[in-house]
Amino acid sequence: MDTLNILLMGFISIVLINNLVFTKFLGICPYLGVSGRIDMAFGMGMAVTFVVTLSGTLTWLIDHLILIGTPLEVTRYVCFILVIAGAVQLVEMYVRKFFPSLYESFGIFLPLITTNCAILGLCLFINLWEIDNLLEAVVLSFGAGIGFTMAICIMAGIRENLNLADVPECLKGAPITLITAGLLTLAFMGFAGMIR
Amino acid sequence: MTLADVHVILAQARIYLELWNSAWPAGLTMLAIGSAFAVVLLVASEKLKVKVDPKVEQIHEALPQIDCGACGFAGCTSYAKAVAEKPDLIGKCAPGGTETAAKIAGILNLQVSDSGPAQRPIIHCRAHTEDKTYYGQYQGILTCTAANALPTVQACKFGCLGYSDCVSACKFDALHIIDGLAIVDYEKCTGCTACSKACPRNLIEMVPFRHENMMTVACSNKETGKATRSMCKVGCIACGLCAKQTDLFSVEDNSARLDYQKYQPNEQTETAFNKCPTYVIVYRGPSAPEPRQPKQKPPAKTASA
Repeated sequence: MDTLNILLMGFISIVLINNLVFTKFLGICPYLGVSGRIDMAFGMGMAVTFVVTLSGTLTWLIDHLILIGTPLEVTRYVCFILVIAGAVQLVEMYVRKFFPSLYESFGIFLPLITTNCAILGLCLFINLWEIDNLLEAVVLSFGAGIGFTMAICIMAGIRENLNLADVPECLKGAPITLITAGLLTLAFMGFAGMIR
Repeated sequence: MTLADVHVILAQARIYLELWNSAWPAGLTMLAIGSAFAVVLLVASEKLKVKVDPKVEQIHEALPQIDCGACGFAGCTSYAKAVAEKPDLIGKCAPGGTETAAKIAGILNLQVSDSGPAQRPIIHCRAHTEDKTYYGQYQGILTCTAANALPTVQACKFGCLGYSDCVSACKFDALHIIDGLAIVDYEKCTGCTACSKACPRNLIEMVPFRHENMMTVACSNKETGKATRSMCKVGCIACGLCAKQTDLFSVEDNSARLDYQKYQPNEQTETAFNKCPTYVIVYRGPSAPEPRQPKQKPPAKTASA
């Protein structure tokens, strides 16, 4: 029961309270770049969720089985990037095979998941928070992906409606998007008081 | 060599050994992880292989890959796909020209008929800022589309506005605004038609450049000769002198036209060029001479008006 409690709290925390996009400001590039339409945003969220779950789990394994306790800890960043790049290549092939239209609409943003700081950020956070349980690492990685999907889908929903809104001329395009992102972040700051 | 020197050398050697001892496990770990992923990706690339028509890939390689959109498709990739399915779309690639069309035809086992000379833009206006008449100073948004919405932005409702819509549409840096008039750099132009679509006054026409330098009528003013003369030093006053020389010229809607499809340089066109009182007929092309400037008032009867 205790384990389940910890896992659940961890999941809720990473989705709402420590959301990578809203509170750590990581992964802003796809968050603003691919959030034009809600179906694309959802596809991007799913791709990121897959990559982050896979790489979060694998990097935890590599970290704990090979790196920690040896002088090799300094190579952590390089190892993690290696894992992420591999996982992204895998996703790219899969999406190209089974969702060709999605593949075309992603364009450059799909290979750019490799350099998505949210993913490397999460892998390093798992190390920083000293998570020493594989199950917990898996749940946290998956939760981070879900949190990203939620953020990008909310943003896409708002932006779809913004297209119809009467936005002042000087705020059209990027400015209103950034203002929206800022207001969303403020709203999500409210969750910070949930856990004492 | 003293004993102290030996000690220094030994100490340095020890540092390097230590460095090496901690470096090789790191390299080995990287190599191991990297190769593990390489194997996984190799298997995946075989399992998840997408069969692309080899013809599409070949066509894509033959295209210039600048994604200019002149063919009407989003980019070279989508044009390659479309042309592989529908071969009658061959020849839409303006920057590639006949060479690319021939290459694509070769890939598709087809023969192309010669599509004629390359299309290049000409601008139906030759008035620089000092030639035009303005009612006041325009202080709005600095694009032609915005300026064109204001009827009083300049006296001539047909002339070049000079706010760079065509310049920003050009991906090849082949258009520049020089003293309030768009000038084409024919060395850089690829004939992609982007500028002719961008001009809100439809001043830019794509014509077949049968000769290195083409004779053009650089005005599209449809007002009467007197009204044109009052607002522009180099506007066409529809006097009809050029049309009297050769059939290639005609006068429609108070403006001279040249039949660019049939244009051949000969004595009559040269006479028309010389007789034009407002110097509206100019040569355009990579080595075209500078247009003549209207210095003295031409001896036409409108000069006194």
